[in-house]
Amino acid sequence: MLEKTLSRRTLLKGMTAGVGVMALAGCAAPVAPAAPQGQAAAPAAQALTLVLWSSFTGKNGEAETEVVRRFNESHSDIQIDYQFQGSYEETAQKVTAALQAGTAPDISLLSDVWWFKFYLNRALAPLDDLLEAEQVDLADYQDSLINEGVRQGVHYWIPFARSTPLFYYNKEKWAAAGLPDRGPKTWDEFMEWAPTLVEMEGSEMKTAAFSHPDGASYIAWLFQPVTWQWGGKYSDPDFTMHMTDELTVAAGQFYKDTVHTYKWARPTKDMGADFIGGLTAAAMMSTGSMGGIKANAQFEFGTAFLPEKDNFGCCTGGAGLAILARTPAEKQPAAMTYVAFASSPEIQSFWAQNTGYMPVRKSVLDLPEMQAYFEEFPQFKTAVEQLPLTQPQDSARVFVPNGDQIIGKGLERITVQSEEVATVFAEVQATLESEAQPVVEALRAIEG
Amino acid sequence: MTTKGNRVSPAERREWWLFLLLVGPNLALFAIFTYWPLVYNGYLSFVKWDMLAPVKIWVGLENYRFLFTQAEFRLIMLNTLIFTIASVVLTGSIGLAMALLLNQALRGRDAVRSIVFSPVMLSGAAIGIVWIYIFDPRYGLLDMLLGFVGLDSPNWLLDTAWALPAVIIVHVWKTVGYAVVIYIAGLQAIPRELYEAVVVDGGGAWARFLHVTLPGLSPVIFFLILTTVLASFQAFDIIKVMTNGGPVNATTTLVFYLYEQGFVAFNAGRAGVASIVLFVLMFMFTLVQMRYEERNVHYA
Amino acid sequence: MTTSSPEVLRETTQELQRPAATSITWVGHRHGLVGRIAAYVGLVLCVLLIGLPVYWMITGAFKTPQEVYAIPPTWIPLQPTLANFPKAWNSAPFERYYLNSLIVTIFGSGFEVFFAVTSAYAFAFLRFPGKSFVFLLLLAALMVPAQVTILPNYLTVARFGWINTYQGIIIPGASVAYGAFLLRQYYRTLPREIMDAAHVDGASHLRILLSVVTPLSKPAIVSFALLSIVAKWNEFLWPLIVTNTKDMRVLPIGIYWLMVEEGTIDWGVVMAGTLFVVLPVLIVFLYAQRYIVDGIAAGAVKG
Repeated sequence: MLEKTLSRRTLLKGMTAGVGVMALAGCAAPVAPAAPQGQAAAPAAQALTLVLWSSFTGKNGEAETEVVRRFNESHSDIQIDYQFQGSYEETAQKVTAALQAGTAPDISLLSDVWWFKFYLNRALAPLDDLLEAEQVDLADYQDSLINEGVRQGVHYWIPFARSTPLFYYNKEKWAAAGLPDRGPKTWDEFMEWAPTLVEMEGSEMKTAAFSHPDGASYIAWLFQPVTWQWGGKYSDPDFTMHMTDELTVAAGQFYKDTVHTYKWARPTKDMGADFIGGLTAAAMMSTGSMGGIKANAQFEFGTAFLPEKDNFGCCTGGAGLAILARTPAEKQPAAMTYVAFASSPEIQSFWAQNTGYMPVRKSVLDLPEMQAYFEEFPQFKTAVEQLPLTQPQDSARVFVPNGDQIIGKGLERITVQSEEVATVFAEVQATLESEAQPVVEALRAIEG
Repeated sequence: MTTKGNRVSPAERREWWLFLLLVGPNLALFAIFTYWPLVYNGYLSFVKWDMLAPVKIWVGLENYRFLFTQAEFRLIMLNTLIFTIASVVLTGSIGLAMALLLNQALRGRDAVRSIVFSPVMLSGAAIGIVWIYIFDPRYGLLDMLLGFVGLDSPNWLLDTAWALPAVIIVHVWKTVGYAVVIYIAGLQAIPRELYEAVVVDGGGAWARFLHVTLPGLSPVIFFLILTTVLASFQAFDIIKVMTNGGPVNATTTLVFYLYEQGFVAFNAGRAGVASIVLFVLMFMFTLVQMRYEERNVHYA
Repeated sequence: MTTSSPEVLRETTQELQRPAATSITWVGHRHGLVGRIAAYVGLVLCVLLIGLPVYWMITGAFKTPQEVYAIPPTWIPLQPTLANFPKAWNSAPFERYYLNSLIVTIFGSGFEVFFAVTSAYAFAFLRFPGKSFVFLLLLAALMVPAQVTILPNYLTVARFGWINTYQGIIIPGASVAYGAFLLRQYYRTLPREIMDAAHVDGASHLRILLSVVTPLSKPAIVSFALLSIVAKWNEFLWPLIVTNTKDMRVLPIGIYWLMVEEGTIDWGVVMAGTLFVVLPVLIVFLYAQRYIVDGIAAGAVKG
C-alpha cells in the first residue's frame, strides 16, 4: 500500500534527473549573482566557509541540499556548510543555545514564529547595507513577504521558504463520494460533503473526511485563518488578545464539533502521512507539503483555496533566512551572497517547483519554466493564486514567546480532549497576556 | 576518625597528598558539574531569563508563585505521581512473580533470566521507537494481540487518556528485569532452614510465601521501591521519543518539563524551579534509602 | 543479607550465570505435574512478554515497506529483505555515530572506572584528615541526579567552549560516586593479611593499588565497568542537548533523528536503524555473562 519511501539517495538521483530535464526545457543554469563589490575577494584557493543551519527533511531537505550544492559549485570563493538542525522549533532552540556558547551559525533559517525572538535580543544582523552591496532588487520580492521581516524600516529576515495554508483533497475519494472535482467553496458546503467522505471499518473510522494536526505540527497556524473566516482573531498587532471573543470561540467550537459532534474529522500526529496513506480525504496543510505529497501520493490530489465562512481568510507562514549579528563583519557580505542566491528568481523557481513553497520573487511567475510548470501542475498554480489574498499573522502566534505552542496546546485540548472551548480559550488568553508582557516591554526599549 | 589541628604526622601528611592525587580530580569534577549547578539552579529560580538576553532580571519568588499556582504544573506533578506509583507497583509485583518463577529449578531458566534482563541494557531511545511501531492502532503488534481477545486498540499515543499508560508500559517493560534480578538475589539469601521449619509445622505453599519469603524479601522490596521511584523520576528518553510530552501535556513529567522549560521554551527561571523541586523530591527519597542502607550495612 | 545497592548489583551479575541450582521455593519441594506445567507456561509467558517486542524489532527490520504496514501484521517476514539495512545505513552517517559512541563510551567509562578505583582505594585504605567529611561530599553527589544539573552544566560547558565537542559530552559525566562506593565496599572484603604483607614488603600505596588490590577486585571492577559502559552507550539527554551537528551525534541521538527525519513512513528502515544501536549491547551482554563467570571462577584470591 505504501510504496512511497525512497531512500535519500534515490530521491536525490531522481531529482537531479528532473533538474536536467528542466535545463533542457530552456532553463539556463542559475546565474550567479554579482560578486560582492568593494570587498576584497578572498583568494579563490582559500574559500570562505559559512555555516548554514536549516530545518528541512525529506523531499524539501533534498531540494535545499541541492540549492546549497548549486551555490557551492558556482561560488569558488564561498563554501556553505549546510547543517540540518531538526524542526523549526529545534533549529531555533539550537540557535539560542549556540548563541550562549558562541557557536552560532553564520546564517540560519528561522521560522515565522522564531525570528522575532532573535530580533528582540539583537541577535540578527541588519541587512540593508548588505542587500545594497549585493545589489538585491528588493522591489522584486513579494511585498507582503519581504515586509514581514522589516522592523522600523530595517530588513532582518529575508523570505526563503514561505508558505500559506492550502486545502488539499484526494480526488479518488472525491469521485467515489460523487463530489464535484473542486474544493468546497464554504465550510457549510463541506459540512454537507464530509459525511459522504467518511469510510468506516466496523465501529472504527478508517478514513476521515478531514484531519487536525497536533500542536507540534502547527495547528495554531492552520486554525488562525479559520478564526478569521469566522470573523475572530487571536490578537491585535498591539498584543491585545482576542481569544475569548465570541467569534474566535465560535470558530473553536466548530473545530471541536468536527471531531466530537459531527465525527467526520479526527486529530492526527502526521497529517501528511495520513493524507498520503488515504486515511483522510482532505486536509488543510502548508503549500510546503506539496512536494512531498506529489512525490509520494499514489492518487490524484487537488488543491483549493481555503473554504470561507463569513469571510475568506488565509495567512502567510513558513521560514526565512537571517544572518546572525555575531557573524564577523568580513563574513557578512558572503553570507548575504548566499541569502540573495537562495531567494533569487532562478533558485526560487527550482525551490518552489520541488517543494511547493511560494516563489518569493515576483519575476519568477513570468519565467517560462514557471508558466510551463503551472500548466503541468495546476495544483501549484492554485496556491500561488491564493498568495495575494493572504494577510500577515496575529502577534499572539508569531511575536509572543511560545505563542504558537500555547495556542496549539489549547487547540489540542479542544480537538483531542474535547474540553470546553470558552474555558480553554480563556486560559490560553491569560497565558498569552502574561507571556506577552516582557515582549511589550522589550519592544518599548528597543523600538521606543 | 580525623586528626584535628596541626598535630598531623608526616605519614598522614604523605597520605593526604596521595589522597588528593587519587580523589582530587573526581571531587573537582563534582564541584564543577554537580555542586555548582545546584547553587546556580537556586539562583536561576529567582530570575527571569530567556537564555539569550544579556541581563537576567531578578524576580524574587515570582517563578515559584507562577509554577505553584498554575494548573499545568499541577497536572505535571500528577503525571509524575501516576507514572511513579504505577511503575513501582507494576515493576514490583510483576518482577516478584517472575523472580519466584525464575528462582525454581526449571529447564531453560537461565536463558529466560537473560531474556528478561536484556531490556534493561537497551537504549531507551531505540526501545521507545520500537514501541511506537508496536502501539500503532492500525498495523501495530498490540492491536493484533488485543484483536485476539476481541478488544479494539486505543489510539495509544494520541489519546490523552492512553498516552501515559503507554509510556508506563514501556518503562515497566524496560525495568522489570532489574527488579527480577534483585528479587532473585534476595530469594537466594533466604536461609532454606526457615522454609523447612514451616514445612515441619505443616505450613503450605501460601504459608511459606507469607511467613518466610515475604519477610525475607522485605529489605529487598524496600530497596527496590526506592530505586524504582528514583528511576521513574528520571525517566526521559522514552517520553521524549514516544510522545514528546504530549498529547497536550498528558505525558509531561517533572523531568520532561524541566527539559522543555530549559531547552525548548527557554525559561531558565522556571527550569530552575523545576530542577529544585525535582532535587528536593529525589533528595528526600535518597535520604530514606541511605539511612536504611546504612543501618543494614553496619548490621552486616 | 543482600540489601545495599552495590552488593545487589554484584550479586546480580553473578546471579545471572549461576547454574540452575536446586533451590527451595515457596511453592514446595517437589512439583506435581500440574505445578510443573504451570511453571513452564509461566516461563513461556515471561519470554513472550519481554521477548516479543525485541522479536518485533528484529523481524520488522527484515520486512518490505508493504509488509511492514500489512494488516494484520505478519509474524514472520513473508518476503524477507535485507534492503532496509543499507537504506538505514545510508540515510544517516552511522559509521560516524558508531565512532562517536565508541569514543564517548570508552573515555566516559574509562574515566569512571579510573576514578572509582582510585577514590575507593583512598577511602578504604588511606588515613588522612577530613576523610569522613570528604566521604560525605561524595555521598552528597550520589543524591544529585544528572537531570537536575543539565541547565547550569550546559551554560558551563558553553563557557568552556565545549559545546558540540567530545570533551563536552564526556567530561561533565566523568566523575563517579556510585562506583567508588561499590568498589570501596568490595575492597573492605579483601583479606587483610595480603595487604599487610604487601606493606611489610615496603610496597607503596600506588604499587599496592596496581598490583594487589586491582587484580584482587577484578570481578567487581569488571561488573562496574560493564554497567558504566552500557549506561554511557545508551545515554540520551545530555548528548541530545550538548551536540548540534550530525557529525557529533552518538547512536541513540542518531536513531532519534533518523526517526524524526525519515518520519514514520518506513518502519522497516527505522527498525534496522534501532538494531544498529542495540546490537552491540546485546553482543556485549552475551559475551559479558561468560566473562564475569570466568572472572569469578578464576578467583580473585588466586590472582
